[in-house]
Amino acid sequence: MLGLQPGSSTVVPTSAPVGHRFEPYDSNGGSIAAVCGKDFCIIASDTRQSTGYSIQTRYKPKVFRLNDKATLATNGFAADAEAMVSRIRQRLEWYRHSHGRSMPLHAIARMISTILYGKRFFPYYVYNILGGLDEEGKGAVYSFDPVGSYEREFCRAAGAAQSLIQPFLDNQIMFKNQHSTPEHTVPKPGEMSLPDVLKIVMDSFTSATERHIEVGDGLEMFVVRTPPSAQGEAIGAASVDLKAMGGVEAVGGEDEQEEGAVMVIRRELKKD
Amino acid sequence: MNSILSRFSSTNALPANFDNEGGRQDFQDSINGAPAQFDLPGTEPARFLSQYTDVDSSNPAARIKLQHGTTTLAFRYKGGIIVCVDSRATAGSYIASGTVKKVIEINPYLLGTMAGGAADCQYWECRLHELRNKERISVAAASKYLSNIVYSYKGMGLSMGTMICGWDKTGPALFYVDSDGTRLKGDVFSVGSGSTFAYGVLDQGYHWDLTDAEAQELGRRSIYAATHRDAYSGNTINLYHVKEEGWEFIANYDAMNLHYDGPGDNVPGAPGGGYGWDVRTQGLSSKLEATEGQQTSGQGGRFADEQPLTASVQPPQA
Amino acid sequence: MTSVAPQKSKSGFDFSNYSRNHFLDGKGLGGFTATSTGTTIVGLIYKDGIVLGADTRATEGPIVADKNCEKIHYISDNIRCCGAGTAADTEFVTALISSNMQLHALHTGRKPRVVTAMTMLKQRLFQYQGHIGAALVLGGYDATGPQLFTVAPHGSTDKLPYVTMGSGSLAAMAVFESGWHKDMEQKEAVDLVVAAISSGIFNDLGSGSNVDVCIIKKDSTEMLRNYVMPNERAKKEQKYGFAKGTTRFTKEHIYSMIQKEDVFEVGSTAPTPAPLPAAAAGAGGEETMDTS
Repeated sequence: MLGLQPGSSTVVPTSAPVGHRFEPYDSNGGSIAAVCGKDFCIIASDTRQSTGYSIQTRYKPKVFRLNDKATLATNGFAADAEAMVSRIRQRLEWYRHSHGRSMPLHAIARMISTILYGKRFFPYYVYNILGGLDEEGKGAVYSFDPVGSYEREFCRAAGAAQSLIQPFLDNQIMFKNQHSTPEHTVPKPGEMSLPDVLKIVMDSFTSATERHIEVGDGLEMFVVRTPPSAQGEAIGAASVDLKAMGGVEAVGGEDEQEEGAVMVIRRELKKD
Repeated sequence: MNSILSRFSSTNALPANFDNEGGRQDFQDSINGAPAQFDLPGTEPARFLSQYTDVDSSNPAARIKLQHGTTTLAFRYKGGIIVCVDSRATAGSYIASGTVKKVIEINPYLLGTMAGGAADCQYWECRLHELRNKERISVAAASKYLSNIVYSYKGMGLSMGTMICGWDKTGPALFYVDSDGTRLKGDVFSVGSGSTFAYGVLDQGYHWDLTDAEAQELGRRSIYAATHRDAYSGNTINLYHVKEEGWEFIANYDAMNLHYDGPGDNVPGAPGGGYGWDVRTQGLSSKLEATEGQQTSGQGGRFADEQPLTASVQPPQA
Repeated sequence: MTSVAPQKSKSGFDFSNYSRNHFLDGKGLGGFTATSTGTTIVGLIYKDGIVLGADTRATEGPIVADKNCEKIHYISDNIRCCGAGTAADTEFVTALISSNMQLHALHTGRKPRVVTAMTMLKQRLFQYQGHIGAALVLGGYDATGPQLFTVAPHGSTDKLPYVTMGSGSLAAMAVFESGWHKDMEQKEAVDLVVAAISSGIFNDLGSGSNVDVCIIKKDSTEMLRNYVMPNERAKKEQKYGFAKGTTRFTKEHIYSMIQKEDVFEVGSTAPTPAPLPAAAAGAGGEETMDTS
C-alpha cells in the first residue's frame, strides 16, 4: 500500500501495517450426502469448490474411493480434507501389507475417529461421511464431527446445504413424519431399491443447487455394492445396470479393484 | 501395554511429550494406532479452540460446530442403577442428530454417559475399556482415572459431563465426573441442559426401595419431562439398567410416542397411556368436543356453537 | 458500553434501536440480516444511448432468497437505476428519488435530467454515511445526451462510459474492458452487456439466474425483462406426493361451512314463484311471498 506522509515534501512510499494473525482455516462450501440400502450404499457430493463469493474450481471431487467396500466423503476446509484423506489411505495401505486384506468398514470408522481426535486441540475442519458395505455385506453410513465423534446411520447430509438436504432425506429415506393408513403402508427405512435412492439423491442436489449459492456445477454419486461378478445370479443392487445410467468404474484406493464394486455416476448441476 | 494406566494413575500426569511443533505425528500414529500425543496449534490451545470451535454454543461465529445439548440421568437404588438419556445433538439451533448413543458401553459391567463434547466423551470413555487387571476395575478407580485424564488437560478446552455407572464389590456405584476435574460419588445425578427438568420428576419420585419396574418408569418419565420442556433435548430415549450380572439395555423409546401413546402395552411400571397429551387436553373447555346431537359451526367453542348462522332474507312487503 | 440516546430523525428514519442492535450484534445475538442483492449490475454508453443490465438473484447469506427479482428500477421515463446492496435500501431510495424527480419535473416543466437524479441520490446517501446500503448504476437520456453514473453507498459518484457494480463487478468489468469501444451498435452493445452480466452470473456466487436488460435511447426506453434465461430450473427425477392421511392428527372437527340461503326477486318483473314443495316449505319457515 502506498501512502502520503504528511509534512514531507516528497512522496514516500510507506507500507500500511499488515496484521499477521494465525488464520489456519478456510471454508470451501459444497455439500455431501450418503444413503445406504440393504446391499448398497450411495455417497454423493457436488463438485464445486469455492471461497467467499469466488469459485476456485468447478470440478474438485469430495468423495474418495478407499477400497472395494468403502468410500469417504469430505466437506469443510479442502486442504485439511486432502491431508486427512492421504493419511487415511496411507494407513489403509499399511494395514493391507500387514494383514493381507482390506480394513473392514467398522475399523476404518474407528480409525478415522482416532485420527480426528488426535487433532482435538488443532482440529481438522472437515466433516466426514464414510459409506460402504459392512462385513455382512449390508450398506452402512458412518458420520463424523470434526473432532471424531461418530455414529452409524441410514442416511446423512453434511456441508453447506446440510440444513436443506437432511430434512428431505429424513422424510423420504427415514419416512419421518409419515404415518401408515389402512390404505397405504409407509415402508421401513433402509429397504429402498438402488434406482429409487439414486433419484432421491439427485433431486436433493438439484434442489440444494437452486437455493444454495455454494452448491452446483457437477454431481458425483458413488455406488458401493457387491460386484455383479461375485454372485452367480445378480440380484438386488448388483442386478442394476449402472453403466446404462452413465456409471463408470471409480478409481483410486489402495486395493486391487473388482469390476462393478464401486462405480460413479456423474450428472451436471446448474453453474450459476 | 497399559500405557494409559502408567500415564494417568496420578493427578500430575500431564504428558511430558507434548510438543509445540505441530504436524508430524503420522508415523507415531501408524505404530500405535492411536495418537501418543496430540497435535497442537502454535498458539495457546484453549484460546485457539475457543476462537474456531463452538463446544458449548457460546460462539456462534465459530466455523467448527461441535455437537451439544443433552439430558442424561442415573440413579442408584436397591435394585442397581438406572441410566436414562435422550438422543439429540444440537449445533446452535440446528438438530445435528436425533440418534446419538449417549450411553457408552465401556465393558459389560460399566456404563458411561455423554454430555458436552460428544467426541471427548466417546474417546476418553472408550479408552477406559483398556483398563484391565487380574480383576474387574472398581467404578471408583475407573472414574478416578477418567477424572485424572481430563484434569491433566484442564484449561485446554475439553468439555464433558459424565456419569460412570457400574456394579463392583461394593455393590452398585455411581460417580459424576466432568472436564473441570470434579468427581463426585452420589445416588442421584442428572447432567445436561435439560437436567433441571429431569431432576424435578426424579426427586419427587425417588426413594431407595423402588422396585425395578418403578425405577425404570421413573427414569423414563424424568427424561420424557426434559425432552418436553428443553428444546435442546429430545428425539428418542435410551434406558439401561445396571444389575449385579452387568448392565442390561431395556429399550429405546420415541419421545413423541411417549407423549401421545406411552411406552407401549404391558410395560412394567407404566400405568398405560400417553405421558402428556391426554392429561393436558381431556376435559378442557377449549378442546371441547361436540356432544352428540350438537351442531358445530363457525370457529368452535361453546358459544359459537350456540349461535345460529343461518341468514335469511326477509322480502319487504309490497 | 457506549450507549447512544435514542434520536428522533426528521427525515423518516428511526435510529432508536441502533445502539441496542449494535450491542446485541456484539454479543452474537444479532441475526437481523437484511436481504442483499449480492449482485452484478452494469451500464454502458453506445452510439444511440445507454444499455443497462442486471442479474436477478437476491440472497440472504448463502441462501437464494429470490431467483428472479428485478434490480433495474424506474426513476422516470427516460432514466433507470440498477441497484446492488441491501435490497430494501435500493428499492426505497430509488422509489423516493423517482417520486422527487416527478415533483421536480412538474415544478420546472421540463424533462428530468440524469444529473438531477444523481445529485439527489448522492446527497441522500452521503447524509446517511453509508447506512443506506445502496450501490447504484444510474443511466438515462436527457437534453444533454446519454448519461451514465455510479453512486457508491457513501455518496461518491463516477461518470464513465462503461460501469459495473456489485459483487460481480470485477467479472463484468473484465468483459467490458476487453469488449467495449466507442460508438457501438445497439446489437453489439446489448450483446456485450449480456456477456458482462453472464460473466457475473456464472463466476460470482452472489449473482445468478437471468439477465435483465434496459435500452434507453433519445425517444424511447425499452425494458427487456428476462432477456436471457440461461438457468432454467432443473427437472426433478420424480414427483413427491403423499397419500391421504399420511400426516397424523390428534383431533378432527368438521365445520359446516355451507349455509343455504333463499333469495326472492321482488317487484313487478318478478316471476310467479312455483309452489314450494312441502318439505322445503317447512324448512323455509315463514318465508312466503306476498304477490298481492
